[in-house]
Amino acid sequence: MKISEEILTKIKENVVKGRRNKEDEDLEGGSVGEPGVEELVDGALKGEIGPKKIIECINDAMVVVGKKFETGEYFVPDMLASAEAVSVGMEVLEPELLKVGQKKEKFVVATVEGDIHDIGKNIFAMMLKGAGFAVIDMGTDVSAEKIVKTVKAEDGEIVGIGLSALLTTTMENMGVVTEKLREEGMSKSVLVGGAAVSKEFADKIGAIYCADAFEGVDKAKELIKRG
Amino acid sequence: MSREIKKGFSGGQYKPLSAYDVGRIHETAFRILDEIGVRVELKEALDIFERGGAEVEVNRGEKIVRISSELVEAMVKSAPSKIVLGGREKENDLVLEGTRVHMGTGGAALNVIDIDSGEKRKGTLRDIADIAKLADALGNIHFFVRPCIAQDIPIEDLVVNQFYAGLSNTTKHVMSGCDNAEKVEEVVEIAELIAGGEVKDRPPLSFITCWMDSPLCFASNVTKALIEVVKKDLPVILSSAPIAGLTSPITLAGTLVQLHAEELSGIVFTQLINPGAPVVYGGIPSMADMHNLRYIAGGMEFGMMNAAISQLSQSIGLPNYNSAGITDAAIPDIQAVYEKAHSICQCALSGSNLIHHAAGMLESMLTVDYGQYVIDNEIIGMAMRGVRGIEVNEDTEALDEIKRVGHGGDYLRSKHTRRHMRTEFFEPMLASREEREDKDKQGLRDIRELAKSKVKEVLDTHTPVEIDPEVDRRIRERFNIL
Repeated sequence: MKISEEILTKIKENVVKGRRNKEDEDLEGGSVGEPGVEELVDGALKGEIGPKKIIECINDAMVVVGKKFETGEYFVPDMLASAEAVSVGMEVLEPELLKVGQKKEKFVVATVEGDIHDIGKNIFAMMLKGAGFAVIDMGTDVSAEKIVKTVKAEDGEIVGIGLSALLTTTMENMGVVTEKLREEGMSKSVLVGGAAVSKEFADKIGAIYCADAFEGVDKAKELIKRG
Repeated sequence: MSREIKKGFSGGQYKPLSAYDVGRIHETAFRILDEIGVRVELKEALDIFERGGAEVEVNRGEKIVRISSELVEAMVKSAPSKIVLGGREKENDLVLEGTRVHMGTGGAALNVIDIDSGEKRKGTLRDIADIAKLADALGNIHFFVRPCIAQDIPIEDLVVNQFYAGLSNTTKHVMSGCDNAEKVEEVVEIAELIAGGEVKDRPPLSFITCWMDSPLCFASNVTKALIEVVKKDLPVILSSAPIAGLTSPITLAGTLVQLHAEELSGIVFTQLINPGAPVVYGGIPSMADMHNLRYIAGGMEFGMMNAAISQLSQSIGLPNYNSAGITDAAIPDIQAVYEKAHSICQCALSGSNLIHHAAGMLESMLTVDYGQYVIDNEIIGMAMRGVRGIEVNEDTEALDEIKRVGHGGDYLRSKHTRRHMRTEFFEPMLASREEREDKDKQGLRDIRELAKSKVKEVLDTHTPVEIDPEVDRRIRERFNIL
């Protein structure tokens, strides 16, 4: 096996294991001290492997992770660990990508006003990073005004907005956000999710319904394709 | 679909009897043996008792053996407190000791619910083989007791074939009843052929002898078989099954006192034959339905009494065998599973060493059902998780993690979570945890259908490790294997 192939195989393996760096253990509790995605991506770049190849290999790895998740072999924390490992790898890659004029797609995420339940939003943010997005995480209890302001400031670069809410009472504030965006004349796609949110509700406020964070990432990718 | 076998965890969390109760029952059982005695008609058995120092008297033509508490205590001491039952593969060995819990199949059911037609029909030798194969694949079933009576073969071939249908289809320990002294030799020969010689240390099979005809009578035929097994130094289960209200007092305590006395008389008997012979305290108390005198094993009291049996055997330091998972429901319905779940949990948590009948049974032991084995495998798995208990130590308390996550964070991205999440929660094979809408999309599949499809998957795809073809050839040459 050529050295370049070997290192790419290792990157793939470590993404699947969810090992960000040498301090992380694998599923059996071993591998501590061995290079993780961060070190391996760095090594690959130094070894003159192009970022495109590395990204391809990371994408392959995430397909494997997705399959393991679907069959039940992988649990949510495994998926998140892999996404986190990818996110770390992408940070190492970023300067190289900028050199060739490649920029990450930006995505705004927030838990809407009145709601502080952010586990779902955090999972979504991590999964987005794992899928190669630059995520602007606005946190919890975020007002519609603030969201619109952020989107405006970054306009032209934002691919979409992801909103979450756990409570039926705060869910209505998602409608306020879509309403405000329309008032400002911004035709940004809004993904909504959370325990109380339904397809009917999403349709009513003119948003895209996501049953969970994984569907959210798929929908976000579709937005890029649509351009 | 075979999962990691989780057996032998130590139970003892559930104690229906207080220490005082246990002591009192023990003392009263002594009085039964001393004042009332057991009836023994078999000459050979009477001689054994007489030579051993028990008092034999003839009372209105009945031969009564009275046993002093001194003799009981001495004989109980001579019986081993630890017995190893072998599997054809070593990983399936069972170490019977203390409160270590193992669960298996059981029964002498007459009927089987046919997997294809769903109709109730007579049990066959093929059923024993297929159910052994199923038990081999199901990770929470730890040993195999012949589940039904093969009614399609001649009676003279029954004992050997029932054992061999089990042995050739599972590498788990195989148990079966034996009420025929002449057949003991043959079965032991099979055990030796399979083990490749001496079987004393970890025998691949063991005998269940229902030697006691409650109340307080030795059954002559089975006692003959019992003597043969004990002479061979093979582990033997002393199975006694009084029915409260019918063959023992209606009160739970009364049934336990009588049963304890019966077991003690059996233990004394085995130790007089062969001091140090491995013997298992096999009390299976049940109840009679006072409306119609039907056998009841699905009631709460069944689990309570069988759990109490663990306490009584533990108090004299002997391994035990009892029953759980029997239901009085005739079909695999909701009643079946709630009755099963209760007694399985009760017996498991009481620390029983060999809980048989724990999978597959329906209709007060008259019937076994293929799909039910898969469902019960799941109930047993949950119960074993309960037995394993809550581990409390520095790592599981996770103080460092709580510090790290702090206020309002989550534990989803923590290494500690990944390290423990696969073992901390029991992972069900059948249970659905989906919302109604998602289930509707899949056509609202009943768990019984799911269980049936698992059965078919196992029967089509699972290949138990086979017996060495040369050994199999020799066994078939020697015996009429059908």
